[in-house]
Amino acid sequence: MSSALWLAVVISALGTLLIRVVPFLWMQRRLNSEAGINNMPQWLSILGPLMIAAVLGVSIVPVSPSAVSWIATAIGLSVTLWVWSRLRSLGWPVAAGVAVFGIVEVGVALM
Amino acid sequence: MSQVISHSPGRSALQGVREAIPLLGGYIPVALSFGLVASQAGFSTLEATAISALIYAGASQFLFVGMIAAGAPLWLVVAMTLLINVRHVVYGPNLAALLPRSRHWPWLMHGLTDQVFALALTRLPQLHDAKRFSWFMGASLLAWGAWVVGTAVGATAGEAFTARWPLLGEIMPFALPALFLTMVAPRFTDKRWAVAMGLTIMAALCLTLAGWGNVAIPLTAACGALCFYLVKFEKRRGEQ
Repeated sequence: MSSALWLAVVISALGTLLIRVVPFLWMQRRLNSEAGINNMPQWLSILGPLMIAAVLGVSIVPVSPSAVSWIATAIGLSVTLWVWSRLRSLGWPVAAGVAVFGIVEVGVALM
Repeated sequence: MSQVISHSPGRSALQGVREAIPLLGGYIPVALSFGLVASQAGFSTLEATAISALIYAGASQFLFVGMIAAGAPLWLVVAMTLLINVRHVVYGPNLAALLPRSRHWPWLMHGLTDQVFALALTRLPQLHDAKRFSWFMGASLLAWGAWVVGTAVGATAGEAFTARWPLLGEIMPFALPALFLTMVAPRFTDKRWAVAMGLTIMAALCLTLAGWGNVAIPLTAACGALCFYLVKFEKRRGEQ
């Protein structure tokens, strides 16, 4: 890699880091400061959970979309939701969902 | 004494590591693919690994390598990389009230990816204040480490790996939607949140299918927020 290319990597990395860290530090300094704000703006607390919903929507699309992978996705998500409704935890519902998704994909591949 | 032990930084960091393990199902296959794609584009293992360690943002790294391989001008490569990552700008402020002040944030926030943000926003409010810094450090370092190691393995042995276990790369990423589903599910008990979230999920899904995956997250979250403000349900009589 040429030195110009390394410079491009470093600028991209620094820029990405600044995008992540500056808004965080800015908000932390403003929160509870005398001249600043006491609570997070309401629109921001609404946007946060909706960003997670958007990440979910993006990640639902299977790696190789096909009828089988869509059916496996629907079944896997249903199982995840069912286990979550019973346990209300993060780990086991994910493990159960991945296992069932895998069983459907492998099962169809072996047929 | 037991309180002090249960809040020890080591234990909290380990808890973060444990709770970030489901993220690896999505990280490792994508990191392997990136390593493979980068090596096929002419980057050495060291260079591919350095890109992952320094930039650490999945979609933009693929774009970076692809544009370089296609001979695009470097200023355009940098501009497009930053444009894709600009969505991260709203993640930090959402976590600001949940995390204590520390001089380590300038380097620790390097680990604030889409997935780490989603996990942190869900878990931090449930943790004691004293645990939060170490928890974030454990969770974000595991995710970053897996991404870097996955890239190195992908660049050196990605082709052999995917040839030997072709289905693994399709099954493991399902851990991500499963994890995010368990994060948004509690909000579906409220009608207003359910409508806004349902709309956001469906819109993000459709945009991704249409090839607009990079803008889907900020755009559909903004649409969902608009929906949240516009749609109001009347409370039944007797409801507080």
